[in-house]
Amino acid sequence: MPDPDWGRREELDDVAGAVAVVGVGESAHTKASGRTTKAIVAEAVERALEDAGLRPTDVDGLMYVPMPDQFDADAFHEHFGTDHSLWVSRQGGGMTGAAVAPAYAARALRTGQAHHIINTFGVAWATQRSSMVGGPGEAHVNEGFKQNLEVPFGWFPQPVYFATIARRHMHEFGTTEADLGAIAVACRRHANLTPGAVMRDKMLSLEQYLASSPIVAPFRKEDCCLISDGGAAYVMTTPERARDLRRPVVEVAGVGLGTSITGVHWAQQAAFTSTPQVFAAPAAFAMADIDSNDVDVYTCYDPFTIVTLMQIEDSGFCPKGEGGGFASSGALNFDSGILPTNTHGGLLSHAYVLGIAHVVEVVRQLRGEAAAQVPGATVGVYGGYTGPQAATLVLRAA
Amino acid sequence: MRPDFPMPDPDWEPTREFWAGAARRELRIPRCNHCGRLRWYPTEMCRFCQGEELTWETMSGRATLFSWVVVTHAFLPQFREKVPFIPALVSLDEDPAVRLSTELVDVSPDQLAFGQPVEVTFRGLQFAGVEGSLLAPFFAPSSSC
Repeated sequence: MPDPDWGRREELDDVAGAVAVVGVGESAHTKASGRTTKAIVAEAVERALEDAGLRPTDVDGLMYVPMPDQFDADAFHEHFGTDHSLWVSRQGGGMTGAAVAPAYAARALRTGQAHHIINTFGVAWATQRSSMVGGPGEAHVNEGFKQNLEVPFGWFPQPVYFATIARRHMHEFGTTEADLGAIAVACRRHANLTPGAVMRDKMLSLEQYLASSPIVAPFRKEDCCLISDGGAAYVMTTPERARDLRRPVVEVAGVGLGTSITGVHWAQQAAFTSTPQVFAAPAAFAMADIDSNDVDVYTCYDPFTIVTLMQIEDSGFCPKGEGGGFASSGALNFDSGILPTNTHGGLLSHAYVLGIAHVVEVVRQLRGEAAAQVPGATVGVYGGYTGPQAATLVLRAA
Repeated sequence: MRPDFPMPDPDWEPTREFWAGAARRELRIPRCNHCGRLRWYPTEMCRFCQGEELTWETMSGRATLFSWVVVTHAFLPQFREKVPFIPALVSLDEDPAVRLSTELVDVSPDQLAFGQPVEVTFRGLQFAGVEGSLLAPFFAPSSSC
């Protein structure tokens, strides 16, 4: 069992029922587009506001994450030609931020600092990839201990970290390559049904998966997420105001956040085959007053198949170590599974927008308007992950 | 990114003794002066007791194989000539909670097993198109087995 000292639950305000998501939007998701991150996010923001039936001047709160080129207040005003006052928080964006943003938004809504808050995230990493600037590996190259103790031995970049974790998971629990393949195949099937998914027109069978060659054994290419250009946004307000807007109301029921004390130094995490969802998910479920059986649809940050598998286990959807058999049983399928998972295709097959499109997908599922719709879904969960942290967001159709 | 990426910087203070030790063919790891546990990575503050002072010690160089991968697709051009190669984590005999990131040498992937004994071997670290070479702690299956 994991060393209980390897991480902790972070304290968050109880925001059950205090926030509603009233508009969602995505940019086009593409291979290298030549567009800037800000232009990509602006497209997503326009679509989210259109979805909500709000004008740019109605937005008085803006959330993003302190990464390069994000859609900040200057970008907002420049794009929309506005100059009104904006409440700004940099505790939003994608990854774990896409899950915990409502917890911070709730305070601003409660105090009246803001009335309609938009959380955004975008990347142009497909465009930037050729220069190795700003891509997913950069932050790791520039961290001193990784640069001096990991990179020289080729323990870098992320596919190497997570293939190492996957092999250890196989050893500890009997997980198989076919189990990981089941996750890749379920996501691909969902993407095949989803307009706008980068891999919409590319089929993947388990036979094809198993016949392909490893790139970082035990990983194949299909175990690894896409690199694409894209962005997404969602608009939050109070449930009271949400009832006056045009879309079905989706309420925030719970949030949770967990931290690993070894941070980005995965190699030293005592519970090597676990994620901080161990700490985050129970907190979010308790705030929402649900248990894992109540969840109708699940999305989780899935840079690699093994990260989906670990979060499913660590969130309590199956016992630790049984995620492989769970995935292989067909549990993740939108139409027949007991835990429809990444029903838009996830980072593996939909788009690499670092989780914010996962929240958009949950909202669409709870409105009953998703492409791969789970019939009658009323409780949806997003699991966000960065490595050092994991976060869980519970949404509920009001 | 450093111009000689992916070489380490032997002058970076927190890991200076690790690389200076490697140059002498010694595996050097620090111990926390406060709680007595090996501190890896050698961060400013111990993650177990928040103590700051540490003392570097020479390890036996014996370890067991914790996990590994086989890289057949180089993500970066500097690693292209190494493919295929085996980045691995090995658990030190002195404290298995300490996992060294290393590369396995003198072994083929189908001979590897979890927990198998490995030992340090100091080899030149160098990369295609990158100047310089440093002695670095690689690991190979223990000669006693």
